[in-house]
Amino acid sequence: MTAKRLRIAAVIAISLIFILAWMFPILWSFLNSLKTDKDVLAYPPKVLFTPTLEAYRDVLFGSASILPNLVSSFIISIGTTVITMLLAVPAAYALARLRFPGKRFAGFYVLATQMLPPVGIIIPYFLVLRGIGWIDTYQGIILIYLSFSLPFAIWLLVSYFEDIPFEMEEAAYLDGASRLRTLWRIIIPQVRGGISVTVVFVFLNAWNEFLFAVVLSGNTVRPVTVAMYNFISVEQTLWTKLAAVSVLAMLPVILLGIFAQKHIVKGLTVGAVKGGGRR
Amino acid sequence: MVFRSTRRTFLKGSVGASAMLLGAPAFLRGAAAQDNDLAPYTSAKIDWKQASGESITVAVIPASYFDNLISIAPQFQELTGINVRFEKIPPAQIRQKCVIDLTSKTGTYATHAADPMYYALYAANKWAEPLDRYLNDASLTDKAWFNFDDIIPAWRGADSVDGKLYGIPYDGEVTIQVYRKDLYEAKGLKPADNLEAFVANAAALNDPGNRIWGAALRGVAGAGQNMYIYPSIFREFGGEWFKGGKLTVNGPEAEAALTWYVDLMRKYAPAAAQNWNWPDIADAFSQGTIGAYIDAHSSASVVNNADKSKVIGKVAYARWPKGPSGKRVTSIWNWGFPINAALPDKRKKATWLFIQWAASAETQARTSYKFAGPAKRSGVNRTSVWKDPAYIKLMSSFGNNFVEAAMDSLQHDTDVDWRPRVPQWPAIGDTMATAIQSALAGQATVKAALDDAQKRIEPMMKG
Repeated sequence: MTAKRLRIAAVIAISLIFILAWMFPILWSFLNSLKTDKDVLAYPPKVLFTPTLEAYRDVLFGSASILPNLVSSFIISIGTTVITMLLAVPAAYALARLRFPGKRFAGFYVLATQMLPPVGIIIPYFLVLRGIGWIDTYQGIILIYLSFSLPFAIWLLVSYFEDIPFEMEEAAYLDGASRLRTLWRIIIPQVRGGISVTVVFVFLNAWNEFLFAVVLSGNTVRPVTVAMYNFISVEQTLWTKLAAVSVLAMLPVILLGIFAQKHIVKGLTVGAVKGGGRR
Repeated sequence: MVFRSTRRTFLKGSVGASAMLLGAPAFLRGAAAQDNDLAPYTSAKIDWKQASGESITVAVIPASYFDNLISIAPQFQELTGINVRFEKIPPAQIRQKCVIDLTSKTGTYATHAADPMYYALYAANKWAEPLDRYLNDASLTDKAWFNFDDIIPAWRGADSVDGKLYGIPYDGEVTIQVYRKDLYEAKGLKPADNLEAFVANAAALNDPGNRIWGAALRGVAGAGQNMYIYPSIFREFGGEWFKGGKLTVNGPEAEAALTWYVDLMRKYAPAAAQNWNWPDIADAFSQGTIGAYIDAHSSASVVNNADKSKVIGKVAYARWPKGPSGKRVTSIWNWGFPINAALPDKRKKATWLFIQWAASAETQARTSYKFAGPAKRSGVNRTSVWKDPAYIKLMSSFGNNFVEAAMDSLQHDTDVDWRPRVPQWPAIGDTMATAIQSALAGQATVKAALDDAQKRIEPMMKG
């Protein structure tokens, strides 16, 4: 009995350490976002202080408002996620279920695109987009994001599709359902967890992306990850504003995480236990 | 030369001062509303409208001195009919983005805030236009009006490669000693005249138990971070970058210089300073925890920021301490504007008109002491503005000896060979910066760090 209690205490203690390590930067940003410039630099760091929303007011409605950047981030992330899922679900299904010539090669090709170091392809991407006049446009950035989110999504989804017993599909065919109808009505509801996980990851990657965004964006389309850097100027670091923008930028991701948590946990375990499947 | 705003020089000064007297009421009004009279520009004997209808994009960094320029840019559009669009890019990315633009010859940015150490690379690849052609073309430049020689010579020199000009300085800085005059006075210290005295001052003030550290210098790795300060120390110790035509970074002078840097930082700077960049030093100094630092004169605005500083009224300035070689070598910087060589001819002209407008004495004044907003620019590019009593008065609020220290350093302490100006600089700067930080952090001995850097740099110079 005591041994069991001890074990539970140890698990809780270790979890707490991990949670603290994870929470600290977030908490730090959150607290600093509510401080004045003077309080941020105070030593010892102030835990009790008069909170102010001035930093938020400045970054949202001031002269260097990041509202347009948040809008840019949403358009890019949602656009990327929607298009990725529309293409990745049928593609993953095809790779998992159908027999067609060049299937192995196609599978490898999808994976190979993931192997290129991003820095190596940034100049070619820049030149291509420049050539078709898509620098600093939503379609340009979404197109580039698709180039890494699609293969990622397809490979993630393939394993979920492979986990579904083929007999379920057969049953649907026997009842006279077409392949597409089967996919929509039978298969997709089964891989809901996997789809949620994929949606969250694709959205997250697009939302957090910085390297391509900084090179391929401009004044018109500038996601919040890039705009955030403008609060570290050559003259000084605007700590309170930087913290406020960080919190605002983290918020959608955290909300999405909480919202999709149920699916994610389920999806991850499903993938982990039964992963592999036929290949 | 020392510029002091006494009543006598104020009255005696000929053109500048009398213009100032006449302009005084306008200046007072200027505090409320931005001066937008185009007459000071139209007096130039050039056709400002010759490139009317062109559109140019200018890449700048987020900084108050560019914000001021952006806010009066509508005046430029009215004057020239050229549509100018600014893009703000963080300093760490502007180099990368502009080099991509220049290599691909896409002409996205007509001009950009350029790192002076990149001109050698631009020139070697013909990415930027030599500017003498524009400067000497009477249809494009009214030489008497633009008065190019008025622009601070050290910055002009930094924007030239082999005597050819590639960029026009817009805003710049010079490194000086910044110290706590109250702490110095309490201990009977004087601002250091040589590097030894700088260490001795730091030792006298160092009291970590009471959260006062003697001194701090930039420690974080970066071609523009610790490799901005180290070259000055290296040169003050008598170091030469090129020995018999070969770039050498591990000679005895280098060892002595880096040892000095490491000792100072280890003994008298906060432990975290090995990862600090200039804003961190200025933040710490503004909280009263640092006795002295050597960094950009422009950091004065941070340590004097009423919103967070606790040391206002306690700050004074001095030139770099002398090194064992007897020289003072300051580190200088400026954001200059080059012309992208990939532009069509007419757009090049439009870009030149923009550069001429931005670097002109009038625009420099309108973005600094005549600016209607709160931001005080301390890096104006012109000697005449630095001598202007209104500007001196504004700058003197930063503390004792500010204008004198900055101007004397710019005139006497600059060194053309301060950093090795070669096209390979970006890679060399990064390699050296990593070596310096590893020595500061104690991951390698001074000798091992420098020898390793030398080994890495040699193949770069062959390529």
